[in-house]
This record gives sequence, C-alpha cells and structure tokens, in this order.
Amino acid sequence: MESIEGDAGNFTVTVRERPRYVDMDKCIACGICAERCPRKVKDEYNQGLAKRKAIYVQYPQAVPLKYVIDADHCIYFKKKGRCRACEKYCPADAIDFTQKEKIHKIQVGSVVLSTGFKSFDPSGYDVFGYGSLPNVITSMEFERILSASGPFQGHLQRPSDDKPPQKIAWLQCVGSRDLHAGCHEYCSSVCCMYAIKEAVIAKEHAGGDLDTAIFFMDMRTPGKEFDKYYDRARDEVGVRFIRSRVHSIELAGHGSDDLRIIYMSEDGKLKKEIFNLVVLSTGLEISEDVRKLAQDLGIELDLHGFAKTSSFTPVATSRPGVFACGAFTGPKDIPQSVMEASAASSACAVLLADSRNTLTQEKTYPSEDPIIYEEPRIGVFVCHCGINIGGVVDVPAVRDYAETLPNVVYVADNMFTCSQDTQGLIRDAVKENRLNRVVVAACTPRTHEPLFQETIRDGGLNPYLFEFANIRDQDAWVHQKEPEKATEKAKDLVRMSVAKAALLEPIEPLLLGNRHEAMVVGGGAAGMIAALDLADQGLKTFIVEQKGKLGGNAKYVRKTWKGEDGRAFLADLIGRVQGHKQIEVLLDTKISHVSGFVGNFTTTVTTGSAEQELEHGIIILAVGAKPLKPDEYLYGQNERVMRWHELEELFEKEPERLEQAEAVAFIQCVGSREPERPYCSKFCCTSSLQQAIDFKTRKPDLNIYILYRDIRTYGQREELYRKARELGVIFIRYSLDKKPVVEETSVDGKDKLKITVKDHILGIPLELHVDYLNLATAIIARGEEELAKMLKVPLNEDGFFLEAHMKLRPVDFATDGIFVCGLAHYPKPLEESIVQAKAAAARAASVLIKESVEVEPTVSVVDQEKCIGCGLCEASCPFGAIHLVKVPGRGYRAENISALCKGCGICAAACPQKAIDMKHFRDRQIHAMIEAGGRR
Amino acid sequence: MAEEAIKLGGKRKSVFIDKVKKLLPEGGNLNLCLTCGTCSAGCPATGLEGMDPRKFLRMAALGLDEEVINTPWIWMCTMCYRCVYACPMKIDIPALVYAARASWPREKRPKGLVGSCDMALRNMSHSAMGTPPEDFTFVVEDVLEEYRETQPEFKDMEAPIDKKGAHFFLNQNSREPVTEPDEMVPLWKILHIVGADWTYASKGWAAENYCMFLADDDSWKKIIETSVDAAKELGCKVFLNTE
Repeated sequence: MESIEGDAGNFTVTVRERPRYVDMDKCIACGICAERCPRKVKDEYNQGLAKRKAIYVQYPQAVPLKYVIDADHCIYFKKKGRCRACEKYCPADAIDFTQKEKIHKIQVGSVVLSTGFKSFDPSGYDVFGYGSLPNVITSMEFERILSASGPFQGHLQRPSDDKPPQKIAWLQCVGSRDLHAGCHEYCSSVCCMYAIKEAVIAKEHAGGDLDTAIFFMDMRTPGKEFDKYYDRARDEVGVRFIRSRVHSIELAGHGSDDLRIIYMSEDGKLKKEIFNLVVLSTGLEISEDVRKLAQDLGIELDLHGFAKTSSFTPVATSRPGVFACGAFTGPKDIPQSVMEASAASSACAVLLADSRNTLTQEKTYPSEDPIIYEEPRIGVFVCHCGINIGGVVDVPAVRDYAETLPNVVYVADNMFTCSQDTQGLIRDAVKENRLNRVVVAACTPRTHEPLFQETIRDGGLNPYLFEFANIRDQDAWVHQKEPEKATEKAKDLVRMSVAKAALLEPIEPLLLGNRHEAMVVGGGAAGMIAALDLADQGLKTFIVEQKGKLGGNAKYVRKTWKGEDGRAFLADLIGRVQGHKQIEVLLDTKISHVSGFVGNFTTTVTTGSAEQELEHGIIILAVGAKPLKPDEYLYGQNERVMRWHELEELFEKEPERLEQAEAVAFIQCVGSREPERPYCSKFCCTSSLQQAIDFKTRKPDLNIYILYRDIRTYGQREELYRKARELGVIFIRYSLDKKPVVEETSVDGKDKLKITVKDHILGIPLELHVDYLNLATAIIARGEEELAKMLKVPLNEDGFFLEAHMKLRPVDFATDGIFVCGLAHYPKPLEESIVQAKAAAARAASVLIKESVEVEPTVSVVDQEKCIGCGLCEASCPFGAIHLVKVPGRGYRAENISALCKGCGICAAACPQKAIDMKHFRDRQIHAMIEAGGRR
Repeated sequence: MAEEAIKLGGKRKSVFIDKVKKLLPEGGNLNLCLTCGTCSAGCPATGLEGMDPRKFLRMAALGLDEEVINTPWIWMCTMCYRCVYACPMKIDIPALVYAARASWPREKRPKGLVGSCDMALRNMSHSAMGTPPEDFTFVVEDVLEEYRETQPEFKDMEAPIDKKGAHFFLNQNSREPVTEPDEMVPLWKILHIVGADWTYASKGWAAENYCMFLADDDSWKKIIETSVDAAKELGCKVFLNTE
C-alpha cells in the first residue's frame, strides 16, 4: 500500500502490485517448475535453515496456492534471458516473464491495517552468543525444526551436527522486558505460552528421554485455559521451570558444541548446567517497514511503534476510517488477534452501514427442468491435471472404461477440468447430450467440488447431481511408483462414483426466513458495545438486564491502565444506549424461556410480574462475572481488609485515611490459580499496580507492598510494573504452599494489620505492619448453568461459557446464532471486553443482515413411519437439531430442525430403527458405491 | 544477619538506597530490580560472605541499611560491571557498593587498599608501589637499552618519556617496572612495529588507582588529575589506558 487519500467513507487507496511472473489463472501448483529450477535460494520461511528455489511458494499452506518467481535470484532476470527452465517445463503454460509492476487505485470506504509483527533479532545481544554459537537458536527457528514441512522434516535435531539433543533450554524475555539498546521495555505476551508449547511438543517428538528447561522471570499464562496447560506441562509432561534469568551462554568446553549455563537458583544457589541446544524466546516487534507505512498513511504510533489506540475504541487508529487489528496494536496471541479482526470488521460495517449491498450483484441461474431427472444419463469427465494424474494414471483408458459403465452416455478427458474453457465444455455437453448426472474424476472435492456444482448449475442442473471421484490426492499422488495399479484404482473409484451418481436426487436449497432483531443478554460494557454496533447498523436490538441499571462491572473502572477516564466513558456509553432509537433496554428483566434457532428465536422474558415474548434472530451473551468474596486473610472480619476497588473508593470518599496511612499491602491471586480454581483472573495484576501507582503518586512516603506469585502485566502493561518499582513499591513473591498470614495487631495504640511472609530473595520472614490490605480476588462466573442449558451452549469447568474454538471461533458457539463476549467468556480487562463485544456484533450482524438464511440442505430426514420415539437421536445430536414432537394419537416422533442440522449423520447412526437417512448420503447411495467397489 | 523476622511498614525514613539514587544519573535504576538473578549468576564475588549482588540490592531495597553498609562483601566486589552489563534493567549495583564503601571511616577500610592508596599519594608517579618518577625513568631507559643491544631487530625501538606532541599517552601498571621490568617490552615492540607515536609521562604514569577501589573520592580525583594534566601538557591526542 502506497497511500490513502480522502476521508472515512470515501478513500482512494494506491496499491503497488509486484509482478509474480506466473499467470495466476493458469498455474495449477503442480510444482514442476520448482523441481526444474536450477537456482537455490536461502529459504526465509524456514528461517534460513533450508533452501528453496527461485520459483517457489512461500509455504505449503499458502493461499492462493500459486507459484511466484523471485526476480532477485532468478537466472532469467540476473543474466538477461537465460535459463527459462520453468517456462519450458510448465505443463499449464503459466510462466509469463513479461509481467510488469501494476499500480491500482482502489475506491474503498474504510481500511484495516493488520500488518503483523517481526520477531526480535538477537544478533546484537552478545551475552547469548546468537550467531557465534551454532546451537543457540531463536524460537522461530525451533518452530521450523519441529515442523514436518521444516528443514529436518520434523526430526528434532540441532544445527551444529544434526544430532538429536538430549537437553534443551529455553530463555525467556529475549529482547523483551529489557532496557538494553535495541530491546523493548514491553512484555511480548506470547512467549511464555509458545515456549511451553515448544517444550511439550519437543518432548512428544523425542519420546521420554528429552530434558527440557524453561528459564523465566514471571510465568505469564493469563489467557483462558493457559494456566492449566502450564500446570500440565510441569506436573504431567515434566517440563522443568526454572525461575532465573541467565547471565550469559558459553561453550561447554574446547571442541564441544554443547552450551554451559550458569544461573542463580530461586533459593540463591549458583548452579551450572550443560545443554545441547538453547532456544531464545525472542519477542515481537514492529518492523521498520511498518513504521514507515504508518508514517506515509498518517497513522500515529506509540513509542514502541505500535498503532496508538484508545482502550474504548481499541481497533480505531488515529485516522478516522482506518482501523487496526492484531500485533500492529500491541503484542498479542491468536485468539485476541482473531477477535480484533472481527472487531475491526464491525467498526467498518458501522461506518459503511448506509452503503451496505450497494455494490453487490446477484447471480442468476437457468431454471431446472425436473422431467430431465427421470432416467439417469451420466456424463463422466476424467482429468489429466497436467501430468499430476496423467503422468501416472492412464487417463484415456479410464475414460474408455467409464463409457462401459451403466447409465453413462457421455465421456471426455481434459488436460485441466477446472480451467474456464473446460467449464464451458461441460455445460455444452450437459445440454447437447441431455445429461442429468455429472461425475468428475480429478483432484479432490475438498477444493473443487463447489466449482463443479456451480458449473452444472449454470448448465441447468441441480448442484446435488454432481459426484466427485478423487483420483489425484487419493490415487495418482500416493501410488506414483505403481502406475498400472493406480489406473485400476482410478477405474474402481470412477465405477463407485457412477454407481452413486445414478441414485442422486435433486435437493432443493433450504432457505429460512430471517429476523433482523438482536437480543443482548447483559447490560454491562460488553453488552452495550455489542448492542450499539448492531443498532448503528440499523438493526433493532434488545438489551435484557437482570439488574435495575446499566453499567455492570465497568462502573468500578475509574481509570483504564492507560489513564483514560472510565466513568466518563461509561456515562457516555449509557447515554448513547438509552438515546438510541434502535435499542430497547429491558431492566430488572429475566429470561424464562428460549426457543427457536438461528434467524428465528423466541424468548420469553419476565419483568416483575409482566411477561413478554421477544422475537429475534441472534443472541449475544454478555452476562459478565463477579469478584470472589474470600474467606481468608480476615476479609469480612476486619474492616481494614478490602478487595478490588474498595480501598480506592475508601480513599476517594475519605482522603484523610490515605493521608494518615503509613503502609498498604496488596495480596494477588486470592482464590485464583489454586487447585479449586486453577485459572488466572488476568487483570488483577494490572489493577493492583494501577492503584499502587496512584497511591504512591499522591503520597510518596507511603509504604506499599505487593504480595504476588507472578506479575502478569502482559504486553504494554509492563510499563505499569516498571513505574511501580521506580516509585518504590516493594514486590514480595509468595508461593502457594507458603501463603502470607494476616493478623490483627496494634502499633503505638493504632490498629494495624500484621502480614507475615517469607522474602523470596533473603529467605527470611518479613513482618509487614500495614494500615490496609487490599485483596485481588478471583473473578468468578455468575453461575449460568440454567441459561446455558436453555440455549444448549456449553460452560467450561470454571463456569465460563465455552466458545466453539479457542483460536478460530472465539466468540461463536457450535450452535449457530449465539455469541459470547466480555467476562462471561473469561476474566479480561475492559479494552479486551470491548474488542470481544465488537467481534460478537460483527459475527451477529453477518447473520442478521441477510433476508434469509441459506442452510446446507444435506440434512437428516426422519421416516416417521419407522420411528418409535425412543429419543436416542435427540440425546446424541451435538447441535440440538433433532427433537421429539408429540404426534396426535402416536406418541412421540423424531423431527429434524434443518436450520440447526450440520449433516454429520450421528443421529442416523444412532437410530435403532434405521428411520433416519441423510440427504445426499442416503444408505442406498452409499451401499451402491460399496457394492460397485467390490465388483471389479 | 539475624534470622528473626524483619519488621517493615512504619513511617518511611530516608534510607541509604534513596540517598545513593540521588547521586546517580537515572537513580542508577536502583529501584527497578526484577529479582531475576542475572547479576548474581555473572558475579565473581557471588557466594562470598554468604552474599551476592541480588541479595545485596534486595537488602538495600528493604531498608536494611546497617547490614548493607557493614557487610565485608562490599570490599570483594571487583567493580567489573558484569552485573550491569547483563542486567535487563541496567541497575548500577557497583555504584551502590561504592557508596557503601564510602560510608566506612577511612581507617576501618581494608588495610591493603588503604596502604596502596596512601603509597600512591607519596609522590607524583601515583604508583601503588611508591616508585618515584626518577626511578621509573631509570628503569625504562635501562630496559630499553638492554633490548636495543641484545635484539638488533629492535635497535631503533623507543620508549619515550615526556615526549612532547606524541599522539598516544600511555600509562603503565606499577608492578612491572619494579618486579618484572621485561613485561613492559612486548607492548613497546608492538607499538614499534606498527609505528605508533607514543610516550610515557614521568608524572602520573601509574595506571592503577587503588584510591578508587578504596572509595576515597578526593585521592582518586587527585591521581586522575595528575595523569590528565600530564597528557594535556605533552599535547597528546589519545589517552591509552592499559589497566
């Protein structure tokens, strides 16, 4: 991207497209070009540990899977006109040396910057010897070593001698939490988790004998399920965790490639250990290129190079209409990046709501004539896929064989069946030969089935009259050395597909009417943000709140960790919600019943004694969470012991209390990270540090003690930890087996609290006499079992709602049309709740804006004559898509709810009466295939 | 140090570490400790007197001033700065050690250091061996003559003293002219072969500075000043510190 001109809603973006020298439409990614290319180049994707060719794909999962010529190394470009091997051997004629750089001007309403991060380069950090000691590597290099597509095909070996290491050490915080020149003061957030993951996977690869040790300062695993992973790695997998930072790495001795690490143990003893391999857990940073891009685009960055954002608008950059997500706004992991991505899309949707659908074009298809389906007339198209299939399988023989099969009236073979001209040939063949079933024997249905379904639809056939025979991925590619057998297998596969094709039936699309209203459960910050993002797109939204007012836990946030005014934000937010004509707030209201499915929910709510029904298309769960009331550390027994925001509220109401105080203490992890509640509450460290800084700034001679287990100020929050230390806050680390002891006492006639705790460095007890003690207690779920059951969505062991996929679907459930955000999902700071709320709104809006919901029609069908109403199907369905209904005079019978059905077939397998069949995968269709398969 | 509990939390007094912070740029980052142990892992004095840099700094942070100041460990620090070099917070622990040393009455400080500092102050050589300028001059000339005669390839080698306008000002550890004079020669040879234009000075030629290790600021300064003045007077461009 070169520049963005104009204003939000009406930008002109200039994009420079470099030439690929490969025609994207023609390249079939067969890889012959790279095989023949004589020029080897250092493979950046494998961190330089392997070689690639000058024509290449960056990595096997690249999308689109198309080759590209690296003109900086290609012989043709270096020695004008020479070589051309790729051009000569390409079977698809896809090489095009004449391509030129293109400049595109694109008209858009908004822009999202998701430029990612660069890994810290430890070359300049001499104490670790990276670059001079061959067996000191970065975590990125180790990722590649572990990968099956990596330089050693996934075998765990070290660079110096290719031997498998027996002992590996990880060094945390390399380039992060470090004031050295070129390093970063912030915490990179993700390294603790990836180091644990690498250690666990390395042990899996190596078997039982591998010794792994992670050297760390604070173990930062505050995300959902992260602490459980940490506990498992330590207690079950046997990863060693050593709380110590390493001074320097040296060679173990002359002639050895092993590495010696001398470190200080937690109890103050000097230890020496030899490792075969050392992995530096390097941090995340913003590259110079991205800094320059931001400057060119007029985007403000913070002093570390991350995009400047507010806690209240976490995906908005300083330039209106330009949004950001992922590591560009700060170091973060995949779940948080994915949520931000959805949040940024929501921000765009709100901005561009007025122009929604103004540029869309609807595709039309010829109408289907049902009469033509009567007698099966099958056409079979066998693909060479260049030489991918044709080089192994005798394609003409397979074609000729197909012609002998029952019901087959037309056959052809094609060089590339997926090419545009072949699509035309198929359409013509359908018309000219009155074909009513089509079989393509080619690559794989995984990528190409939708394309061919579309093709026959254009030819006037129902798309479900198509069948795929996979003769590349499952035949030619796996039996390259046995071409004759591969040809026989291709015939078998074609025969099976033809047998099934004869029994295929047209299936009508399933279109369901769709409501455009949303229901948000919970009127805290997350619920209100989600509601506003929907309402601002013109979607009517109900907010159902149990309590008598809006605000939730956000009202306790006086200031965000960045120093923004939380109360002003909340007041403004409530005002916007209450004043919005598309939002209806129902206070003091409870949900008593929910029925329906995506697009068509009906919810019964009770306000006082009044009951009403709400009709809506989606549900967003933003029910929040609450802080634990502990029964330890004298909470509830002595008024000097408080929790969370109680102490700052006391000091606000009665400032003289702060004036008179000599000492204050905080205890972290009260009720969190304990066997009973093995998760981290994520934002307590940040909150206590914020308060400590505030008190210390107002009263510099106040003694402040923070008793902690790990300080988890992840990301840029590390700045708070540094500031608190700078101001003289004393941090004392305790362990779970030696918790602090709190007693009442008096000093010189003044009531005080005495806290006894062992100093983690000196190893001797400290007696802290303090005026107040504030407890950072666990954030716990509200106990939403009933609601979860009503909606058929799961909770995790800790009572928080469990999303469909931690990383890839962080706000969805397996059940369509229900979404989650905020504390109901997991404890998190306000800015992350806002991100998740916007993400949930984006996901919800994608359903609500549709006129109708088109559902995959390959669903189960129940033969009610055979059904005995046993209910096994209902019990086994993971999607709540089949249920028993009362049929007058016959008791209960099963009924499919097509909107919810995913076509998995579990119900059909469970049914003892064989009363359930799957459309497109009917028993008789599959039996026909199996029988044909055995018929050779 | 007593094993009984340390009592903390009363009215905040001015403590030693706060005083030291005021003397240092950025406060020497003395408050920033992450208690990670990097310093102690790299310190040659770790374990001596049951002490290490992390423990020392921790005691200072907790206000255990008496223990911090009185531990004999402070005299075992070599001022090598390995701790600061690797510390992620670049905490100037040696400066804290230095301040603790400075708080001792001079006569209570280690005899060896006091003696060496006092010896250096006896004449303008500022040599810890007490070697006066004329003795140094004699030894250098004598050794040079011997090598010129016995090793013809170095017959033109020089070891100038007080050569005006020389490019390099070279200082010299005091022990060698007295106990191992031949040990001075290898460096002369190198300088000769590369054709360097250098000189010793008769005043302030001694390279070591025990007054610094003794935390005797005035005497430390005096010794440095003599060397610097000598270099300036001779018009040298570069001060080569060989110690």
